[in-house]
Amino acid sequence: MQILYFLIQQTLLFMIPLLITALGGMFSERSGVVNIALEGIMVMGAFTSILFLNFTQGFMSGNVQLLIAIVIAIVTGMFFSLFHAIAAVNLKADQTISGTALNMFAPAFAIFVARIIQGVQQINFNNTFRIVEVPVLSKIPVIGEMLFKNSYITTYIGFLVLILSALVLYKTRFGLRLRACGENPQAANAAGISVEKMQYAGVLISGALAGLGGLVFVVPTSTNFNATVSGYGFLAVAVLIFGQWKPKYILFAAFFFGFMKALSNSYASIPFLFELNIQSYIYKMVPYIATILVLIFTSKNSSAPKASGIPFDPMQR
Amino acid sequence: MKKLLSVLLCMSMLFTLVACGSSSTSAPSAETQAAEATESFELALVTDLGTIDDKSFNQGAWEGLTNYAQQNGKTFKYYQPQEAGTNAYLETIELAIEGGAKLVVCPGYLFEEPVYLAQEQYPDIHFVLLDGEPHDAEYNYSTGANTMPILYQEDQAGFLAGYAAVKDGNTKLGFMGGMAVPAVIRFGLGYVQGIDAAAKEDGVDCEVVYNYTGQFAATPEAQSMAASWYNQGTQVVFGCGGAVGNSVMSAAEGKNQEEGAFVAKVIGVDVDQYSESDTVITSAMKMLANSVYDAISWYYDGTFKGGQTTTFNVQNDGVGAAMDHAKFDKFTKADYDEVYKRLQNGEFSLFNDVAESDPSKALTLENTKVTFIQ
Repeated sequence: MQILYFLIQQTLLFMIPLLITALGGMFSERSGVVNIALEGIMVMGAFTSILFLNFTQGFMSGNVQLLIAIVIAIVTGMFFSLFHAIAAVNLKADQTISGTALNMFAPAFAIFVARIIQGVQQINFNNTFRIVEVPVLSKIPVIGEMLFKNSYITTYIGFLVLILSALVLYKTRFGLRLRACGENPQAANAAGISVEKMQYAGVLISGALAGLGGLVFVVPTSTNFNATVSGYGFLAVAVLIFGQWKPKYILFAAFFFGFMKALSNSYASIPFLFELNIQSYIYKMVPYIATILVLIFTSKNSSAPKASGIPFDPMQR
Repeated sequence: MKKLLSVLLCMSMLFTLVACGSSSTSAPSAETQAAEATESFELALVTDLGTIDDKSFNQGAWEGLTNYAQQNGKTFKYYQPQEAGTNAYLETIELAIEGGAKLVVCPGYLFEEPVYLAQEQYPDIHFVLLDGEPHDAEYNYSTGANTMPILYQEDQAGFLAGYAAVKDGNTKLGFMGGMAVPAVIRFGLGYVQGIDAAAKEDGVDCEVVYNYTGQFAATPEAQSMAASWYNQGTQVVFGCGGAVGNSVMSAAEGKNQEEGAFVAKVIGVDVDQYSESDTVITSAMKMLANSVYDAISWYYDGTFKGGQTTTFNVQNDGVGAAMDHAKFDKFTKADYDEVYKRLQNGEFSLFNDVAESDPSKALTLENTKVTFIQ
């Protein structure tokens, strides 16, 4: 049982950044803009917020510091995604290219600035944010062990983001309009919706969430930030596709990816799995193979937003 | 109008170029500024990737160089390449030589090719190459008479660290290496042999979990794996491979916080890593400062060992475990000195053939069980 709790706790570390970032990507794609810049935005969000943690360590610590860092990560992500929005919406550029440009720019920028400021590219921080156990809630059997011990405040923020995303997307006027712009922007435009505004909103939300995802990814897993989020932004795109652009499936996909990641790293601690003597590469491959299979079987009637990736042209009917 | 614009553009580009150029040689330490007046620097160090205060190779080598230069009144300076790559390194070496360098210290195996080229171009200049041997792009090795490559016997450093950890009362240990390159494999083989030697002496049984992560980076995967080891009861993990150690330290810090006790410990690598995390109990070190100091003093004594590789080991105080900031419960400096002497006397014959990277296959162990994770 202890091992299962440990596995779930580890799964959450991988799952939450994927969940938050993939939900961000969902907002962008549902508004009709492909955002493969998630990786770069994660790097930027992590960079500024970790820099903040680095500067303020010593006279600030704990979750107050982390909450301010979260705000910084969100603002940075929004600002950085603005470039993608301008390129995609105003300039009607190829969205894959502008996303790639941001992905290439972000780590270079982070290294460059870090070196100017402090000479070395690694930015150290003290992890004082771990919640050993949440009072009262950790006493709940099973769930308490899994969710309310050795956790981070970001875990709960992740679930909050999930619930809010689902509500915004399906229960608000804004959500309906956003989805309309991703499916048929010309019709939305004819109905009097400003497609540009909606797409800006979609990209900026994706920037905010991806920036947050970057911070959430780095804090529990290292003691310094070295201008990389190890490809988790691209993984989030895979989660988004595996999750068929829908919040509840994205939750499932993020959990599945996270669980396989956790398993591939700690299977040696689980006696019966270690006896099987399967190489860790197999566990690492499973999520990707699953993504490909899902794509194959759903390609006929994929629920991808129909206008995603196509620059909006009001003349085209 | 267009012409004017283009001229302005050219000017601004030139300016930025100049600005970049000047910033490269700036940031000298206080010592180099003092020596600036003579405008010629006999001893030079070209940094590897990273800065002079990288808490690793550059810093260690620089300490040895400054020690010697200050004690003997020599002028010295360091040069930082603008980018990685053989050409950039070679250019920076040339810059150092133009600056009057007679001896250039090059820390790190990335200098193998640049030094190979430089040793032929500048036969009058002497080179000290740390942790590598000069070769060309096709891996044809050749060491000029003016070059002194230095290698370290990592297995001995690993041995001392593993021995100390077990003598201190730990029986469940771990090894997390970076890529399975010869230096890392030797560290690991020595570490396991040190554990077994101590286990035999104390009559205890030890378990070692052993893995190469495949990269020299701090990844969530490495952190998660280390966390699972600590969760399983592993007491000490040797984080051997650059930033992999940071992942291990992060996992150890988490475990200690969870338990509210010092149960998860880390062994550092290359230099004394006590400053990186409170969880570091000791480090398996290459005495970079000592070896650079020795190499320079041999140069001035006229006994420069060019043309052949010099190996630093316990015989010439070239490797060891960090004791200055060690956090052992029982293992004392006297214990350390004793085992160090025994290692010097050849009491332990260490196996350090890197052909097999899995110690459970390469070694015959008596009291130690190695679990090798693929």
